[in-house]
Amino acid sequence: MFAQFHVLWQLMRGQRFHYALALGSLVLATAFTYLVPLVGSATIDYAIAGRSPLDASPLLAALLALLGGAETVRTHLWIATLAMVALTGIGGVFTYLKGRLASLASDGIARRLKNELYDHLNHLPASHHDRADTGDLVQRCTSDVETTRQFLAVQVMEIGNAFILAATALPLLLSLHVPMTLISFALIGPIIAYGYIYFARVKHIFKSVDEAEGALTSVIQENLTGIRVVRAFARQDHERAKFARPNAAFRDRHLRLLRLMSWYWSISDFVALSQLGLTLLVGARWVATGELTVGMLFAFVSYLGMMLWPVRQMGRILTELGKTSVAVARIKEILAVAREPEPDARPDGDPVLHGALSVRDLRFNHGGNIPALNGISFDVAPGETLAILGPSGAGKSTLMHLLLRLYDYTEGSIRLDGHELSRLPRKAVRRQIGVVMQEPFLFSKSLRDNLRLGRVNAPDHEIEEAARAACIHDSITTFDQGYDTLIGERGITLSGGQRQRMAIARAVLKRPPLLILDDALSAVDGETESMILDALRKRHGRATTLVIAHRLSTLAHADRVLVLDQGRIIQTGTHAELSAVDGLYRRLWQIQTSVEADFQRELPAG
Amino acid sequence: MSSSFQQEDEFKARLDTGLWLKLFRRALHLKRYLYPLFFAAILIASCDAAFAHITRWAIDGVVRDGLKANFTGYISAYLAATLLLCGGVWLFIELAGNISNRLAHDIRRDGFDKLQELEFGFYDTRPVGWLITRLTSDCDRLARIIAWGFLDIVWGTSYVVMIAASLLLMNWKLGLIVLAVLPPLALVSKMFQRKMLLSAREVRKFNSQITASYNESIQGVRTTKTLVREQENLAEFEQLSSQMFAAAVTNARQSALYYPIVMTLGSLAAGLALWRGGWLALNDALSLGTLVAFIQFAGQFFNPINQMARILTEMQGAQAAGERVMGLLATEPKIKDSPAVKQRLAETASRRATQPALSVIEGMTIDTRTLAPDGGPHAIDRIEFRDVTFRYENGPVVLDRFSLTVNAGETIALVGPSGGGKSTIVSLVGRFYEPTEGQVLINGVDYRERSLAWFQGQLGIVLQTPHLFKGTVRENIRYGRLDATDLEVEAAARLVNAHGFISALDQGYETEVGENGNRLSTGQKQLVSFARALLADPQLFVMDEATSSIDTETEQLIQRGLETVFHGRISFVIAHRLSTIRRASRILVISKGKIEESGTHEELLARRGHYHALYTSQFRREREADVIAGG
Repeated sequence: MFAQFHVLWQLMRGQRFHYALALGSLVLATAFTYLVPLVGSATIDYAIAGRSPLDASPLLAALLALLGGAETVRTHLWIATLAMVALTGIGGVFTYLKGRLASLASDGIARRLKNELYDHLNHLPASHHDRADTGDLVQRCTSDVETTRQFLAVQVMEIGNAFILAATALPLLLSLHVPMTLISFALIGPIIAYGYIYFARVKHIFKSVDEAEGALTSVIQENLTGIRVVRAFARQDHERAKFARPNAAFRDRHLRLLRLMSWYWSISDFVALSQLGLTLLVGARWVATGELTVGMLFAFVSYLGMMLWPVRQMGRILTELGKTSVAVARIKEILAVAREPEPDARPDGDPVLHGALSVRDLRFNHGGNIPALNGISFDVAPGETLAILGPSGAGKSTLMHLLLRLYDYTEGSIRLDGHELSRLPRKAVRRQIGVVMQEPFLFSKSLRDNLRLGRVNAPDHEIEEAARAACIHDSITTFDQGYDTLIGERGITLSGGQRQRMAIARAVLKRPPLLILDDALSAVDGETESMILDALRKRHGRATTLVIAHRLSTLAHADRVLVLDQGRIIQTGTHAELSAVDGLYRRLWQIQTSVEADFQRELPAG
Repeated sequence: MSSSFQQEDEFKARLDTGLWLKLFRRALHLKRYLYPLFFAAILIASCDAAFAHITRWAIDGVVRDGLKANFTGYISAYLAATLLLCGGVWLFIELAGNISNRLAHDIRRDGFDKLQELEFGFYDTRPVGWLITRLTSDCDRLARIIAWGFLDIVWGTSYVVMIAASLLLMNWKLGLIVLAVLPPLALVSKMFQRKMLLSAREVRKFNSQITASYNESIQGVRTTKTLVREQENLAEFEQLSSQMFAAAVTNARQSALYYPIVMTLGSLAAGLALWRGGWLALNDALSLGTLVAFIQFAGQFFNPINQMARILTEMQGAQAAGERVMGLLATEPKIKDSPAVKQRLAETASRRATQPALSVIEGMTIDTRTLAPDGGPHAIDRIEFRDVTFRYENGPVVLDRFSLTVNAGETIALVGPSGGGKSTIVSLVGRFYEPTEGQVLINGVDYRERSLAWFQGQLGIVLQTPHLFKGTVRENIRYGRLDATDLEVEAAARLVNAHGFISALDQGYETEVGENGNRLSTGQKQLVSFARALLADPQLFVMDEATSSIDTETEQLIQRGLETVFHGRISFVIAHRLSTIRRASRILVISKGKIEESGTHEELLARRGHYHALYTSQFRREREADVIAGG
């Protein structure tokens, strides 16, 4: 338990001052709220019942003096009324301050955690993201942070509150009457222990209800996503039966939990009320013997009323401390993963590059037996367009990821204008490269904002130019809101070809010295592809371009072609050179002419 | 549409009592819980109110009689009230819990039932996530409000009435003074509850945006890195998290303000009781015990008023959810059996029960086993589209006076640009939609005059991304015919060439396919769905061929599997692969809702029109893919 408190203390970093103020307000609020029943008590005993003020305990006497003395209060009872309202009001101000400060602190911590997590996720290596489960990460960033926040907002204050209540009430009541105090607190310990043991034991039932709900939801989801199959096989009755089980299971498990809760609450109510009854009855007897005054009994009963509720919550809070520490541990696990390592920033700032690429003996292994890249070397001159061709698994995408420094190469060298990539800051490298992937990712923003991700300060006319070059401008203008159309969850859905063209426009706008197209036009028809590639050449006459190609039409636009297979370069050369020798390139080229011949064969004679 | 299920409902200004009564009526059959709950609520309110009376009685007794006071009486009264209260608490959790859970279960069951009947047009405009929310959290929330709201309102009302009655009976003048605090208390409670509900929603709204933002940032992390957007992304996110922070702090401020205000009001009531009551006591017009009871009662108003204000606010907030759920339950399917068909279904069923398999109907001896449940012939020999025009609700015309006749044994390949109407034709064949104008005929009879369940039971469907259910491969194939034996399942898999790859899986037929079958490749999912369709032995087969690339080996398996499936049936295929297209007995080029060209592969090639162009480009693409894949 101590270790768990330590974790919380760590979390409160930066907000401890707020917490201190909040607890201070809580103490004051509690103190003022305490005084309210005392006013009632003093008034009843000394102003109304007519006991001698000389018998009063020091506290009551002081209070009575403050109100103007027993005699004044008796003749001016409204003073007591006013005092009660005023004290509650002042206590209320502090209660308000406590609530506000606790929220500033806990929500502040939650905000800091969320921001930290967000930034950290963006800086984790791509290889980590390859393995991680998105749903799980999001869960940790949201639910676990929320669990922590709730604890920091509510439970931490309740723990503080209970301690302060006990710490202040005990001396106060002891000053009134010692044996009565012992009797009033007799059952407090058992109540806390009961709650703690109970909630620790029903934890697994809460979990089983959650699981039942999950099972129910997944059956509904399965049914609804497969509704066409259900109808196609007319399996409605089968599905109803399949649904009835988890539906009933969820109900029954929930009922089981409720049954346990009903026992818990009724028993804890019983113990709490027994405590109150005990105090009342023993007190009444002592009032009868003159051991205790009616006013004092009134005070004891009122304090107990204040104590009982927080005390009953204490068992639950202590079990929630366990839940929170699990959540915090899950959050810390993310933050503990190392960010992408960075070389020290260069004193002379990022170099300006022109796109001369030189690759030597590059090897890379994803961790399997077969290396993804097995020693490749090639050069690309500034402004040259190089097409890379090869079957899937040849190593094309790995090469691209190494160029972008999404993965770190360990053997061989990649130089851009003579600079070894691994010695440049990653961000400097990425700023020099425009990349379009086969399934590009667009953000749920407007089309314009998506394009502008390429260059934040690009003026509107350049955005349009880029869109025209990527043959997407005409599609954009058909949307009702043109460039301001939202895409994604809150907007429209683009087709695969439209997404690819958007990504090309985005990369064009970036004006990088090196452009990489990874099968970036697979969903675009041949004619449009030609137009885009031509436009790219015109605009970026001097940009070095790497094109990973899956069809002949793409190759036609390249200066040079490199054929990759099983991590090695098996052919390289210009169109003329490669057409002259047997190989993948020539076979591909021959299809063009063979298609017609094949048709003639298939057609019926005549 | 896709966004709406993420959003929170609007807050309804007026409480729609009709809607809530309708919902409440659904709980009426849970009488054995509802009635006792009513009494439990009153019982608890009585116990709550009794304590102050016992205190009063005890104090007065002790003040009057000293040690001779009736201590046994006080102890037993207190003990009795305590036990009753605890019993009441146990009862109400038990009863309200039962009502809420059983009601949620029943609404969910009825909603699920309804969803099994509704036509696909209903699903077109409602994303799955939206529907799931209706059946899960909406149902739970409404049932909870009904059960606990009923309890809170009965308890709260009777508690307030009892306090008020006690006050007035003890001393009506003093009682009236204390009761004066009630209206402002109710007003303040209602106002704050509303504010807090609205700001809590604001927090949830930002929270779901933050969740979406995390999701996006993780999925797009490579794009972020390559565009070097880390700084900007963080700045945008910080804006969002700050908005959430502000909303959360506002919400906390409102509740921090609410409690002190109502507490002060309660204190005012107690203070007034002390002032006037004290004065009366000084003049011996009021006992000390009564004075203490007055002060205690004055402080007790807050709880029931707060609970009732909360539940009324919650009802206003959940009203939109209530409307949606009740709306779903009240929706009537647009595609269903006509009354005439229903009658024939009933007649056939009773005839089957009473007559032998061979019977004489209208002068002819007929083997009733060859009849469909609606009394029509079971065999489908011909499907005909007669001048079919179709548009989706208020949309443009997708199919324009389309006519086509297909006989048993024929395979129709549909090709053409996307959005041309191919999918619509296939949906109309399956009667998942019905023609806007014109008719689809089975053996010359409009299919709206046949049983829907029977007809759809004759369909075998394989979609572009075939849907498999969570479970094993075997269970998925068996979905085609639930009573099929293991041998029959495997035989079907063999026929479509799926047996080989299934046996090669870790656990063979017992391999779990995962959610949506995601542990299998698209090609493998297609093979499994062929086996499933074949097991059902459909008379009509409908397929939307996958466009994504499938390796050559699987492709060959699929083609041979298809051969088995097509054999002897009427088949409609939205075809992309040349091998499938060539296998068809007739090819239709569909564009702009019309048949552009129609004929066999050879006829269409010779015509050198649309089909020729389409075929050429597809041919080249497939060849190129083959060459590149070959390395």
